[in-house]
Amino acid sequence: MGVPEHSPDAHAQDPTGQQREPGEPTVVVSHLDIIYRVFGAGRARSNKGQDDGDNAEPAALLNRLTQRSRNVGGVRRVHAVKDVSFVARRGESIGIVGRNGSGKSTLLRAVAGLIPPDGGEVWLGGRAALLGVNAALVSQVSGARNVMIGGQALGLTKAQVRERFDEIVDFADIGHFIDLPMSSYSSGMGARLRFAISTAAVPDILVVDEALSAGDAQFRAKAAERVKQLRDQAGTVFMVSHNNNTIRQTCTRVLWLEQGQLVMDGEPNEVLPAYSRAVSGRSQGRARASGGRGRGRGRPRVHASSAAKKRNRRVRPQDRRDGRQPGREADGESQDEQ
Amino acid sequence: MSREEARRLAKQYGLQQVGVRPTLGSYLKDLWRHKSFLLTMSAADSVARHQNNYLGQLWAVLNPLLLAFAYFLIFGLLLGTGRGVENFVGFLTIGLFTFLYMSAGWNYAAKSLVGNVAMVRALRFPRAILPLSVVLAELLASMPAFLVLVVIALLTGERPQLSWLLFPVAILIVAVTTAGMGLMSARLVHGARDLANLVPIITRMLRYTSGVFFSVATYGDLLVEKYGQQLRPVADALVYQPVAVSLTMVRETLLGEVPMRWETWAFASGWAVLLLTVGIVVFWRGEAGYGRA
Repeated sequence: MGVPEHSPDAHAQDPTGQQREPGEPTVVVSHLDIIYRVFGAGRARSNKGQDDGDNAEPAALLNRLTQRSRNVGGVRRVHAVKDVSFVARRGESIGIVGRNGSGKSTLLRAVAGLIPPDGGEVWLGGRAALLGVNAALVSQVSGARNVMIGGQALGLTKAQVRERFDEIVDFADIGHFIDLPMSSYSSGMGARLRFAISTAAVPDILVVDEALSAGDAQFRAKAAERVKQLRDQAGTVFMVSHNNNTIRQTCTRVLWLEQGQLVMDGEPNEVLPAYSRAVSGRSQGRARASGGRGRGRGRPRVHASSAAKKRNRRVRPQDRRDGRQPGREADGESQDEQ
Repeated sequence: MSREEARRLAKQYGLQQVGVRPTLGSYLKDLWRHKSFLLTMSAADSVARHQNNYLGQLWAVLNPLLLAFAYFLIFGLLLGTGRGVENFVGFLTIGLFTFLYMSAGWNYAAKSLVGNVAMVRALRFPRAILPLSVVLAELLASMPAFLVLVVIALLTGERPQLSWLLFPVAILIVAVTTAGMGLMSARLVHGARDLANLVPIITRMLRYTSGVFFSVATYGDLLVEKYGQQLRPVADALVYQPVAVSLTMVRETLLGEVPMRWETWAFASGWAVLLLTVGIVVFWRGEAGYGRA
């Protein structure tokens, strides 16, 4: 089975990277399920999307007893991505929105082929790479060695990495620190170097996990420019961002995840307002996600109405106890609203 | 979109499914393509090993030397386990340094998948790189200690002979054995991480039964003498188990009093090939699942 060659005209049509006609499928995600096994997690008291809903305080003892039967040893299962299906095409730039812990990063990693599915299938056309400041490297050794490790892990040869070495170091702008162990870097410096390394190669499928939040303002601007370049060169782009403006400017399509489920899949000006409404609505009282009315190009779609109903049936004490988090996000969103 | 539709669509456009095991052939090819990545990882790892010290890499030599001194005090002088061995210092240091390499390589390799989950979830590469690179890293980190062995052999009155040329070969065979053990246990520990707790216990048992500070051959003969011929299989198992036979093989190259025997080399190489083959197959069969939370 051959990997389709990168067709040169796919990104040549429009240099802005927007409104490109979607081409052939490059990513097929079919009924994807990902379940984390969390070790040493103890009793149930988490607002991550687990399928066994948390009960209120008085039922804590009962809860504990029932939990015990479900958890072998100290292991808890967190159902992070539930039955997500979609098809991404060449030339598409897909943003993923959702609240903290809704499974965005997990979905991204699965799309990049880094976390094997527990159920369902993921098909890729070409090489996928995760671009993220969290991409782990060896912290005890020097930045220079890490450039070699990271570059080669991205599929470059040793010679190619050496060729791009200066460019990477210049971009990361960490000066003589390049010869010191990465553990001595400030968090911003580490993030900058990791970003520079992970953008050294252009993959067919680019997966960006909040990479733009790294470093200071100056670096963020530089990083945004770099991501834009990559996006124009890569066949298909996925990105997670909490900034709706970023998504609106750069994405041709938005997936909205809620507790691991795909709530809505459509154009940005369709999904983003609905998502903002749902998030700000949730912070005031109960959220009611608006329906997935998006016109699809034959795309799979999870209907928001059923997903939202299912969700609303569950009592989620975390939401009420800690209204700060959804509220804060809602603030960010309301500024984004036109 | 049903599962079948998705599958048909993916096949139609020649997409490749992720999270499925590649064929063994393509896996090995992929591994071969990543050989320079393996070397880079190993070099970085071996440098990192002794980095948080003032004396740095000197500890790669000091550490085993100090340990050898302690063992010499306890087993050589106090307990007298060196009976039947003329050059006990040489015998002990060769056994100890080789064993330390094997046990460290095996222990690190066993935890290499579980300990590097972040890396597994960030970068794509054949996961066998992880256990293989730590075994190689440990080999690089042990190089100074192995050189010290040659110096000790000279100092303790061994005369250089042709067999010394086989010393690096013996170390290489030991490394292959260690890699095989590491690959196997990396998968097991990833599958059930509780097994990681057993690794140090097994290591401890091997340390005391593999003839690090006594001669397994002499001990085996003693057993047979005392309890009769029916214990011959036990004695043979003691002598020819992978770790013991590895130590003997390395000793045969440097110590004049331990003569070269073809059985030792046949068994040691046999174990190396067998363990590496089984290790690769076992590890490869789990490839689709690594990184799963």
